[in-house]
Amino acid sequence: MKVNFSLSLEEKLQILSDAAKYDVACTSSGSDRRGKKGSLGNSCAAGICHSFAADGRCISLLKVLLSNECVYDCKYCLNRRSNDKVRTTFTPEELCSITMEFYKRNYIEGLFLSSGVIKNPTHTMELIYQTLYLLRTKYHFRGYIHAKAVPGASPEIIEQTGYLADRMSINMELPTEKSLHTLAPGKTQQSIEKPMAQIQGKIIDYRLSLGKTASMERFGQNQYLSSTIFTDTASTLSGASSLALEKTAFTPRIQNSRSLSVPIDKQKKRPFVPAGQSTQMIIGATAENDYELLQVTQQMYQKFDLKRVFFSAYIPLNEDSALPSLDTAPPLLREHRLYQADWLLRYYGFHAEDLLSPARPNFNILLDPKCDWALRHLEIFPVEVSHASYGDLLKVPGIGNKSAWRIVQARRQGTLDFSALKKMGVVLKRAQYFITCQGKMLYRTPIEEDFITRQLTGTDKKTAWEAEHPQTYEQLSLFDHHFLEVPPTVEDSCKTFWGQL
Amino acid sequence: MVVFTCYDNFESMMTCIYDAWAARLGHSNIRLQTEPVGNLELFCEYRHIDTEMEKVQKVIRSIHKKISFQAYQYVYAASLSSHEEKLDRIYRFLVLGFACGNAVLDMLHQPEVQAIFELQRSVYNETHKFREFVRFDRLENQILFSVIEPKSHVLTLLAPHFEDRMPSEDWIITDKNRLLAVVHPKNQEAFLTPITPQELAYMESVRNKKDSYTRLWKTFFDSVSIKERANAKCQRNFLPLWYRKNMTEFTEE
Repeated sequence: MKVNFSLSLEEKLQILSDAAKYDVACTSSGSDRRGKKGSLGNSCAAGICHSFAADGRCISLLKVLLSNECVYDCKYCLNRRSNDKVRTTFTPEELCSITMEFYKRNYIEGLFLSSGVIKNPTHTMELIYQTLYLLRTKYHFRGYIHAKAVPGASPEIIEQTGYLADRMSINMELPTEKSLHTLAPGKTQQSIEKPMAQIQGKIIDYRLSLGKTASMERFGQNQYLSSTIFTDTASTLSGASSLALEKTAFTPRIQNSRSLSVPIDKQKKRPFVPAGQSTQMIIGATAENDYELLQVTQQMYQKFDLKRVFFSAYIPLNEDSALPSLDTAPPLLREHRLYQADWLLRYYGFHAEDLLSPARPNFNILLDPKCDWALRHLEIFPVEVSHASYGDLLKVPGIGNKSAWRIVQARRQGTLDFSALKKMGVVLKRAQYFITCQGKMLYRTPIEEDFITRQLTGTDKKTAWEAEHPQTYEQLSLFDHHFLEVPPTVEDSCKTFWGQL
Repeated sequence: MVVFTCYDNFESMMTCIYDAWAARLGHSNIRLQTEPVGNLELFCEYRHIDTEMEKVQKVIRSIHKKISFQAYQYVYAASLSSHEEKLDRIYRFLVLGFACGNAVLDMLHQPEVQAIFELQRSVYNETHKFREFVRFDRLENQILFSVIEPKSHVLTLLAPHFEDRMPSEDWIITDKNRLLAVVHPKNQEAFLTPITPQELAYMESVRNKKDSYTRLWKTFFDSVSIKERANAKCQRNFLPLWYRKNMTEFTEE
């Protein structure tokens, strides 16, 4: 490992942002804070993206590592100990001045600070804390801060960091204990879950002290749904005991955190991680199927009350026998399907068990999870727009939260027809097979699984193909060749040759 | 057909609505339009309306009283749009609104409401985009200076956001298309002011080109993207090309 002390600020920024780019979470949402005279910055609950990089991902926060030195040797990671890379570290002052100046120019919404592990986890966490402390007190920064908690750091330093950050996250990296053991030998599931539970406990303390509910706010309209993953936490937890989540000894969350806490009135003014926690999993480096991944996701929401679970398609950076080979394409479509399913869990009242099952463990490549689900439950369709409940409208492919809400509001004032639905934002391309207006469907369509599947995949095949090949160009054609299943036969080529075709 | 015309600003439009209503010609016999009026039509009488603050107050008060504050917000946002028919759309919306009261906002099956809903949505969406994509440069005297070229007149919706965000900084946001600027002196309230092309040219010339953070930002912007996932189409979806004209990371040095 070579540590270089003579790098310019620009080179350091280049190296340390390059090393941080594989972290997915770049959200600035969940925290609402007004600005103040004499300070810089505010925070907006909806989150603000400030730019979009060439890969189409948003740039909301200054996403950098404090240092790319690391004592661990995780196989998938670019900064692992055994890689021969230039190593460097920001000083807290450097990071503060870059953050402040970028923020003033409206480049960023705040700071996302992660780090390789220098010496030991607690020391690394102390450095992160120092930077945040300086930023909040000396520089009077009121913008968004997302800090990584380093697994294995002492609870006191994690707690103190929590009072300065808006969001904290601990990457679980891999969904199961087994794959964690093979690819990240330095980490264990327990060491990851322990700080998560600790932060969760402190968040609950803070929320209760304000008179809020113990669990984080979720999407407001979820209250009109009969059941969501956030309301019935007990029922699904028993599902996947093989996933080792239950094996940790860290369950009694409220009692546990109470004993750690300082008198509440002393801290009432200091928010603790107001935007909640998040985590991230790598997709495609190990053999888990989508069903396992989605179940782990659901459990993370239920058990640790996380705000978000992120997925990152595995990009081969290192060569290792335990890893997929270097020419593996990142599974972008799979990642996309998982995010779609994640939204269904959080905003649409679906459960992991609704979408997938041990018999069908992976998502359909050609159809999005909601269409796929709807096609397997044709008995509840078509839904009548003028009197279906909000929850039922949400189950219709092509109707989202906003349009479902608008329908519920608008139908009180008059009758809706298909053109009005279209204006409201309903995607009729998909929704037309599943809804009726005044008892009539848009066209005469049979409610048959085969027929609707054929109709839907015709259009979706193209989008799916484009998600898989983001950068490929294709020959323009008058005909839609995505419908073609069979490659041309020898006879076909002969016929074109003789001019018969 | 009588066509009432007025200048393209909120006060004029409100006066125009008042006079058009008070003319008692029947809603279907009149049309409202903002100037400049393009082609004149045959069999139309054009009447120019000048701003009168008293009438403006009356219209605003009736929208608040007979419909709601939210409807006023819709109307205000729609008036900022660059759409040609916006004034007529606002008028039709108000005709319906004064008849139905607050329920009009939910009547998305009515074309009048759909039209205004569409306008205000596009204005708010554009405002949000500029909240994201405004880029400040430091002038030599340390003032933060920004130029934008929006389609809608977003400055008045944009200013409160930055006022809250940077209360103790001097900053200016300039709308190059309309030659208007929001000026915010340190620890004071922001105000809207017209500027001359000469002033704009001067400010653009003194922009500090040697700002070291511009380079740092470009470096960061390039290094944070993952080559294996390059996806220009997705980038264009979120950040259309016309927004990039005045953005630091997309302009050459």
